[in-house]
Amino acid sequence: MRRKWGVTAVVTVIVTFFLIPLIGAFYTSMRTDAAIASGPFVWEFDSDWTHYRNALGAAGYDFPSFFRNSVVISLGTVFLTILVSFPASYAIVRLGFGGPWILRLALALRITPAIFFVIPFYKLFTVFQLIDRPLALILANSFINMTLAILVFAGAIREMPLEIEEAAAVDGASIWMTLRRIVFPLLGPALAAVGVLTFLFSWSDYLFAVVLTSSEATPVTVGAANFVTSYGVRWGDISAAVCLSVLPPLVFATAAQKYLVKGLSSGAVKG
Amino acid sequence: MSAAFSREKRSAGWILSAPLLLLLAGLLIWPLYLGIKTSLMHDVLSDFDTYYTGLENYKNLISEPNFWNSIRFTLIFAIVATLVELVLGFLLAILFDRIFPGKRILFSLMLVPIMIAPSLLAVMFRLILNENIGVIPGILNKFGLSYAIFDQGNIFTSLIILDVISYTAFTFLLSYSALQNMSQEIYEAAAIDGATTLQILVRVTLPILRPALAIIFLLRFLDSIRTFDSIYILTGGGPGTTTQTVGIYIYKTAFIFGDFGLAAAAAIVLVMLLAPFMPSIIRQFNLGTEPNK
Repeated sequence: MRRKWGVTAVVTVIVTFFLIPLIGAFYTSMRTDAAIASGPFVWEFDSDWTHYRNALGAAGYDFPSFFRNSVVISLGTVFLTILVSFPASYAIVRLGFGGPWILRLALALRITPAIFFVIPFYKLFTVFQLIDRPLALILANSFINMTLAILVFAGAIREMPLEIEEAAAVDGASIWMTLRRIVFPLLGPALAAVGVLTFLFSWSDYLFAVVLTSSEATPVTVGAANFVTSYGVRWGDISAAVCLSVLPPLVFATAAQKYLVKGLSSGAVKG
Repeated sequence: MSAAFSREKRSAGWILSAPLLLLLAGLLIWPLYLGIKTSLMHDVLSDFDTYYTGLENYKNLISEPNFWNSIRFTLIFAIVATLVELVLGFLLAILFDRIFPGKRILFSLMLVPIMIAPSLLAVMFRLILNENIGVIPGILNKFGLSYAIFDQGNIFTSLIILDVISYTAFTFLLSYSALQNMSQEIYEAAAIDGATTLQILVRVTLPILRPALAIIFLLRFLDSIRTFDSIYILTGGGPGTTTQTVGIYIYKTAFIFGDFGLAAAAAIVLVMLLAPFMPSIIRQFNLGTEPNK
């Protein structure tokens, strides 16, 4: 047993290394401005969350609106991605729609660097006056995440026993009824996996956000980075804003960790 | 199956795929056309006139050393980062591939970096490495050491460390899943034959996992070719253009220097450079997701 605690100790040290940035940011966010200014080891903590209250509006930053935008963009992307990829995956796998070509296209798109789409999207959304609107980011992120979603859904649908659907068809159920009553509930875990991955990836998007927004629709990723340039020395407030920014995906993905793991490994390596 | 059913199948296929086809038409085909069109035009922010210039942008791009330097930097960065992450992630997966106290919570904590946006991690990284208030320089100072992240000699290492912190969780998770899929009997048989732990690792585990590890390498490599956020936030591609990835080159060309035509051409050349590898990569990834026969 002593050797096993040895493994725990080694792993703890390694895991702590990977968490240093987060721990450091949280540490700074909890200290008073005076303590921050007089070096990293002055232990003087702020008991009433001043930096957090500043970040959340007390100091007049735009951070609350960045936060709202991130929530709208991420949830919108999850919804649109599932709407687009779930029915299509069923059509591809079970109804033979499009042959193998749609899946190959999805893979090819997954390999194509997102930067390739940045200028075309900028031009397109300029035409439709969607620049600096959350809808532009919802569309761009859905397009990028759709490929992984199709791969995860297609894999899950293939693993579903065909007999259930066949039995339903024999009993006279239409494709629509089968889809709604049988396939949709059975694919709960795959839906959860796509949901959590899409939420995570769209919350993390920086590239499209920096190109397609200027102020009104700016999410936390771009907002936090700009924060550093505009309010360079307010380290406590910046740290609090960054800690708040990572909180929703952290809570959501930890709660759905099982599905995160499943989605990442089934969308990536298999067979 | 009856003819009526297969007709229903065909129309259902179209209806179910309609949202996807609409999205592809709007966000793939149309933008593709816009991208190619832009690359053939004189399209500069400072000049109100846009007009066709044929292959002018491509000619300029080919003779632009910054573009080729950014490709070279991207490749070197991607290879080094991916190798370090794969080795660390795999070793960590081996450590985790046993029962020990606190395993569940440590596993969850190890996955946390996946949940943090790379851009936000870069901001945190700047914070903890700041020479006035950062925790890391503070600790190093106590030992009489110093490490300037933005020094010409250190910047590459700094960027690799940041990428490793960000993505080792990913290679770890995938390696761990692959390890879990291995049958216990193989280990038992090897142990009965008197193989040591190291022998089992080198002679049994590694050869069996080689295909899985190759895919993890490929996935991470393809992803790190697109690295943009963290490097852009940390260095902006500098000092000079020494840490400029292709992504940063394209972004800056279009949105800082205002030359959309040249940037669009660079994006197309980038994809054309990747294109020859696509069919074999797609075959590699053929995850058993081909449609039912």
